[in-house]
Amino acid sequence: MDVVSTVFSFAYQFGDAFAFLVISAAGLAVIFGMMGVINLAHGEFIMCGAYVTVAASRIGAPLPLAILCGALVAGLVGMAVERLVIRRLYHRPLDTIVATWGMSLIATQGTLIVLGSTMQGIGTPLGSVAIAGGAYSAYRLVLMAAAIALLVGLWLLFYRTRWGVLARATIQAPHMARALGVETGRVYGMTFGLGAALAGLAGGLYAPTMTMVPTMGATFIVESFVTVVVGGADIFLGAAPAAAILAVIRAGLTAWQGQLFGQIGLLLAVIVVIRLMPGGLSGWLAARARR
Amino acid sequence: MSAQDADLIDAAPVARSSLLRIWLGRLEGPQTFGRGPAFWAVAALVVVGAAVWPLFTDGYTVGNAAYFMVWTFMAMGLGVVWGYCGALSFGQTAFFGVAGYSYGVLTINIGDAYGFTLVALALSVVIAALVAAVIGYFMFFGRIKGVFVGIVTLSVTLVFETFMAQTAAPQWRIGDARLNGFNGMSGMPPLTVPWFGGDVVLYPDPPLFWVLLGLNVLVWLGLRMALNAPFGNVLVAIRENPERAEMLGYDVRVYQVIAFTLGGALAGLSGALYTAWGQYITPSSMGLTAAALPIVWVAVGGRSDITATLLGTLLVLAGFQTLTIYGSQYALVVMGALLLLVVLAAPQGVVLGAMRLLARLGGRGR
Amino acid sequence: MILETRGLTKSFGGIQVARSIDFALKQGEMHCLIGPNGAGKSSFFRLILGEHLPDAGSILFDGEDITRLKSFARIRRGISVKFQVPGIFKALSVRHNLEIAFQHHLRGHDLDATISRVLDFVELADEAATPAGALSHGQQQWLEIGMAVGVEPKLLLLDEPTAGMSPDETHRTGEMLRALNARGITILAVEHDMAFVQQVAERVTVLHFGSLFAQGTVEEIVNHPGVAEIYLGTADAD
Repeated sequence: MDVVSTVFSFAYQFGDAFAFLVISAAGLAVIFGMMGVINLAHGEFIMCGAYVTVAASRIGAPLPLAILCGALVAGLVGMAVERLVIRRLYHRPLDTIVATWGMSLIATQGTLIVLGSTMQGIGTPLGSVAIAGGAYSAYRLVLMAAAIALLVGLWLLFYRTRWGVLARATIQAPHMARALGVETGRVYGMTFGLGAALAGLAGGLYAPTMTMVPTMGATFIVESFVTVVVGGADIFLGAAPAAAILAVIRAGLTAWQGQLFGQIGLLLAVIVVIRLMPGGLSGWLAARARR
Repeated sequence: MSAQDADLIDAAPVARSSLLRIWLGRLEGPQTFGRGPAFWAVAALVVVGAAVWPLFTDGYTVGNAAYFMVWTFMAMGLGVVWGYCGALSFGQTAFFGVAGYSYGVLTINIGDAYGFTLVALALSVVIAALVAAVIGYFMFFGRIKGVFVGIVTLSVTLVFETFMAQTAAPQWRIGDARLNGFNGMSGMPPLTVPWFGGDVVLYPDPPLFWVLLGLNVLVWLGLRMALNAPFGNVLVAIRENPERAEMLGYDVRVYQVIAFTLGGALAGLSGALYTAWGQYITPSSMGLTAAALPIVWVAVGGRSDITATLLGTLLVLAGFQTLTIYGSQYALVVMGALLLLVVLAAPQGVVLGAMRLLARLGGRGR
Repeated sequence: MILETRGLTKSFGGIQVARSIDFALKQGEMHCLIGPNGAGKSSFFRLILGEHLPDAGSILFDGEDITRLKSFARIRRGISVKFQVPGIFKALSVRHNLEIAFQHHLRGHDLDATISRVLDFVELADEAATPAGALSHGQQQWLEIGMAVGVEPKLLLLDEPTAGMSPDETHRTGEMLRALNARGITILAVEHDMAFVQQVAERVTVLHFGSLFAQGTVEEIVNHPGVAEIYLGTADAD
């Protein structure tokens, strides 16, 4: 019975970390992986989704609807940002980093000014379940399922819908897409919006488990960046397996030496991967497939 | 003496003075803004004006202004790495922190007698430079480039911050110096210059101001000379077209590492001076927000010219401080907005743009 | 032999771009490398320059095995290169470009003298202060040739030096190259323009699918029946 409970405990830690990495990285994987844009304001889209979710929930919306609202608002803001800022900077990747960093500062400090240093949050729903001798948060189990559902949903979107196929084609070969009559500007806008919406979704999903502070995005940004860089450009061949590997590293290090060492482990992983596998996991896998 | 001896004697001073002339000639050049007597006259006026200014104002204001001149080295270092060599590094604050903590550890353990604080200052800069050289070697000899330089350096700086933040427990110490986690290290002695008739302790007041002013001028002049030398030419070539620079016979990686190390050393100088000035250093000086600030100064000032970087940094710092009176969040919002606007509307830098405009209006190279 | 490759072999993915190429270039020769698209001419160049390392085989420059040397080290030994896309520093002035190209060989007075000489040679003396990006395409190509030869290399490699040039510019480029060759610089050029090849080349090598297909004087190659065939293409030429 003890072995089972330890195994389940580790499986839970792993699943929890995996879900967190997948959900928080999905939006960034779309934006960086597909568009090559480094969005340092990713954490702030998450914060936006979280705040909207909490606000919607407080005026009476049921949680799933509130989360969708959060995702939607974040997506709309994302489309606006792409139109006004990102679109001018596609040929200047380093400047995109700087510009999104500026937006991140504006968003966090602006929220601090307007809404104060914290906002009252909502509690974690669904209580806990007892499994194999331990008590686990049911909501976090739901989040694990949500992560899987998210991956399946994204795959369906990009590989089975017309829009998804068009988006992938446009991003890989914009001139060809334009020659075929695709409005590339709209596609970029919607893809960036999708990335922002996914970030908002992450914020909404995790809002019940966190305190609402304007700098809450910082909790997500390092993990999501590490996942996306280690994973490489492809979400499914890259970010997903990367999340799995990193979840193991993080869970292991946290159990051994604490949260902060888990964080350091991830950061070191990103440095090593950039050095050894610049295209990330998916780049490495693609290179091997070619041989 | 023989005719040969006379030749030798004649040859030596000529060789020496033309070397000096070569280096002085490098104060002006294609990589730096400003040439000619008018420019240097204005520069001299500014320096002299700054030097006498403390006599007309109170100690608090002077201490404040001294504070600004601590950060300029880090900005100029980033200017070299980003503006001249083309590598956007977020790691300046890492070297800032390394040097700051090094200064603390060294001076807390060894004290300030016999001018050791000055030795500690120099050693801290050397340590920061060594760390930068190692990281630079890892990156540039690993052919890491573009946005990945940014990601790696940002990760490094966050690793340092996270590591330092969890050193709160008492066993985290080097000698007598406790690392002290989030709260940071404090209690280290300020810069003390051994002098006849009593040590001069440099608290934030006119003597420190003058020392910092002098250091700034020296570094500014030194960088001008280095950047207009063939070394600077290669840096700019690497920024413009690194493949071509390699195909002209330059080992691009070596130059990148040297530039990065120089940037790290300058950031370390800022860090050690900051720690000596305020007598404390915390992990947050290596955090995300802290890492963004040098980028703001350099982007707003103008990264491709060292003078613009220097002036821009002082301007933005002054503006930032004025705004923090209303609350640091307002100041940071403005910083973020500045970054965004500069990238979109004035990528060459606001100060550099203004300098160039003035030069055109003035009719000749100012 | 100034340049030799022995059994040079390289593949990318599943494509063999160099199949055991044995190539020899005599000192002082003016040699052109031709072949249909995809023949492996550019890849051969990149292998010589060290942008890629071969899977097998060796490269000798002036008797020394340079197979494992990095690009900049090969350049230092006396190879200069001019790429197809002008590899100049567009934001910097013409003079500045030349300075960067020559400064590790020359200093001071010699450097200035060489810069002046090269400016005259490539007919850009009036444009010394112009940003290189503002020059015409042909002028940019000449600037790059100037950057390549100012250091008196032993071997000059050119990848399509007349690409995008008018017939007049092409002719002048040919004259420039012959003048350089007369000074003892060995020249190896990848070219598509057969008129240019006939103007300048002593000997020609034809590559096809990564192999050395034919080699000889311009006359021999022009009259070679197989060469015309591979250019006009049978169905599987690509």
